[in-house]
Amino acid sequence: MLSGVLLCGTATAQQRGGTLTVGLSYDIDTLNVYSTGYLGDVQATVVEGLLAPDKNANYVPVLATAVPTLKNGGIKLSADGKKMTITYKLRRDVKWSDGKPFTSADVKFTWEAIKNPKFTAESKDGSDDIESITTPDAYTAVVNYKRVAPDYASTLFTFGIFPKHALEGKDLNTDVYNEKPLGTGPFKVKEFRRGQYVIVERNPYYWRKDSKGVQLPYLDQIVFKIIPDSNTLVTQLKSGEIQMTSSVPYAQVTQLDAVPGMNIVKNNVLSWQHLDFNFKGPASLRDLNVRQAFAYAINKSAISKALGGYPVPLDTVVVPVFAASNKNVPKYPYDPAKARALLDAAGYKPGPDGIRAKNGERLSYKILVQAGRANDELAQQVIIGSLKAVGIELVPDNKTGVAFREARYKGGYDVFYSGWITSADPVYSVFFKTGGVNNGQGFSNARIDALLDRAENTLDPDIQKKALMDFQVELMRQLPTIPVTSNLSVIAVTDKLGNFVPNPTNMTNFVDTSRWYLKK
Amino acid sequence: MNLNYLIKRTLGTIPLLLGVSLLLFGVLHLAPGTPMDVYADNPSVSQEALDQMKVALGLDQPLPVQYTKWVTAFVSGEWGYSIRTARPVTTEIAERLWPTVLLGGSSFLLALLVAVPLGILSAVRRYSSVDYGITFMSFLGISMPVFWLALMLQLLFSVHWRILPSAGMQTIGDGSLPDLLRHLLMPALILAFASVAGWSRYMRSSMVEVLSQDYVRTAKAKGLTERKVVYRHALRNALIPVITVVALDFAGILAGAVITETIFAWPGIGRLFIESMNGRDYPVLMALMMLGSFALVVSNVLADLAYAAADPRIRYD
Repeated sequence: MLSGVLLCGTATAQQRGGTLTVGLSYDIDTLNVYSTGYLGDVQATVVEGLLAPDKNANYVPVLATAVPTLKNGGIKLSADGKKMTITYKLRRDVKWSDGKPFTSADVKFTWEAIKNPKFTAESKDGSDDIESITTPDAYTAVVNYKRVAPDYASTLFTFGIFPKHALEGKDLNTDVYNEKPLGTGPFKVKEFRRGQYVIVERNPYYWRKDSKGVQLPYLDQIVFKIIPDSNTLVTQLKSGEIQMTSSVPYAQVTQLDAVPGMNIVKNNVLSWQHLDFNFKGPASLRDLNVRQAFAYAINKSAISKALGGYPVPLDTVVVPVFAASNKNVPKYPYDPAKARALLDAAGYKPGPDGIRAKNGERLSYKILVQAGRANDELAQQVIIGSLKAVGIELVPDNKTGVAFREARYKGGYDVFYSGWITSADPVYSVFFKTGGVNNGQGFSNARIDALLDRAENTLDPDIQKKALMDFQVELMRQLPTIPVTSNLSVIAVTDKLGNFVPNPTNMTNFVDTSRWYLKK
Repeated sequence: MNLNYLIKRTLGTIPLLLGVSLLLFGVLHLAPGTPMDVYADNPSVSQEALDQMKVALGLDQPLPVQYTKWVTAFVSGEWGYSIRTARPVTTEIAERLWPTVLLGGSSFLLALLVAVPLGILSAVRRYSSVDYGITFMSFLGISMPVFWLALMLQLLFSVHWRILPSAGMQTIGDGSLPDLLRHLLMPALILAFASVAGWSRYMRSSMVEVLSQDYVRTAKAKGLTERKVVYRHALRNALIPVITVVALDFAGILAGAVITETIFAWPGIGRLFIESMNGRDYPVLMALMMLGSFALVVSNVLADLAYAAADPRIRYD
């Protein structure tokens, strides 16, 4: 009886119709999810993958009927345990937004298109791991991997599936698909005006229905307005011109809290801020004593406080959302006296200006953050102040755009403060393994390499967890990086929006919009 | 002024623009970073993908080869493809040109219509309360940061009174002219305000100087009315130095108003330039900068024409 009443209550609340207006803080380059330089907010409403991460960063099936595992037989290991085969069973009721059926041929085509050297995509990750794909029938795709890849879900087929019938033989670099992607998602692109807005409208062929059999999505349209200035974004929220934006700078949260009808949603994201040392830089940075002094000198809770208390101090690089986050790593609590003692013992004596030096090398470094990132620049000030107190000088050397990125990857810095956001199953070797793609600091340690290899080449969750736990201990011993805070993203959204569930991964908050609705 | 002169001037700009292009190309490629670094920022990009892209974009070739290829293509109207969006550069620029010309053009006209009379008024009524008032406003306009003024106006007109949209070029789904004008009003006013402030000061000082000259005194002594003296005799001469300043600002329209366009989410050239710069999108950047140089050259020619029109003593052969 009671549940019946409750059901009625929720059912009447979920009306169909309405337009949600969202503010985006960046100018979209392309709507092809494999070649964009941004997280695909708009794309996520249009393009679906076989799987998607949910609000707890667990994979759930979307176009596949189940998440393949060893247990359910979806993943099979080869006899020697060095290769694997994943079998996806696909939904039979899915159509592209042009009405054509979705089949396993589309899955195979997606891999072939992305692997093609002529396609200059940004995200080709995972396409090299696949040896072949067979399609025994229209709703089964068998993917043969060259290696055991536990991160298979965070790459290729989760980003999205290409429509074979619309793209075969086309040049994916310049095809109209990049402006108007054809997908199986709840919405399709109605209009894309560069530099201004994208309108997505209801996909009449969408396959999902709610529990009462009502065709989803509930919303008629979502309008994404491009507003590059964060002050203007806030103004637009206040004036009612937009109803939602997903990355409010911490400093502006209090302003928005006062706006009637506005909800501030705080979302734990799989992202952490860190201070990295360049091992190709000044020799003193290769001295563990100096790095440890940095770690003891940085007041993480002061940084958190300066940022409104939103980011939470962190002791390891694996954020607490994950089960493999190790609480028993070597810790460096804020202790400037200990930092000074360490430096004294290692022979770094304060000079006449208070800055320490040893053998003629002054402990004076350039600290790089991305210019214009208000949160990072604020943290940078706190860090500079903390280190000055122990006799280490940091000089800001902030850069924007490509200059920043080049410095980051080629090591054009001494110390570097920034953040990473990862997928639901992060691959840490890109950051910390010898020669890792994002290891611009030139850090190399054989034991860490071995532990990461073990963690990233097994499907056994226990082995993986153990290896990751050990990796964190070793990483905090070597201290190539100081984890500073784990992050919250702040989402401002109208209280009229129902069923909104934030997503912590790099798949964005728009990964499942079909059940969102606007209260009248 | 004759046609011969115009043709000579035009031909003269060709080697100039070529030299400028060589300089720009060099400077761009000397700047740290390449278009590839944007992609490398993503943790899920592989080195193979980067190498493939480098070859596909021709970035693996030596710089002189890249430059020669670029010049020949550019001259034949083939402006290439944007690295960031993979669309033709011409399309990319054409889409952003109209909003910029609209915003820049209307604020330019507005500023001109206000600044010249204000400057004259200020000069004629020198040391009066009107002059002091205008001077005060000018200094306010020169020293007030554009972003602050924009924020205040947005707060007043969009948040408090809700009578004007705070940003964008149109209400989505409404492409009408009144809607466009409503969106144009605030950014155009703010852009014009800064120009008015500067230009009216030039106009004032130039006018003051001319008004103190002998021929003006003679004209007054002959019994001409104040009006005639100012508008017929003094204004033409006073305009000449102002034309130089205004003409240079005219070229600035095409360069775009970066801050205004960003604050008001106006989809113009200025924002395209910033995005292309952040991505080192060489083809778009080169085209934009060449367009800017071209505009500067053209506005210089226009300034010369305007001198001749304002002062019959100036003749070109």
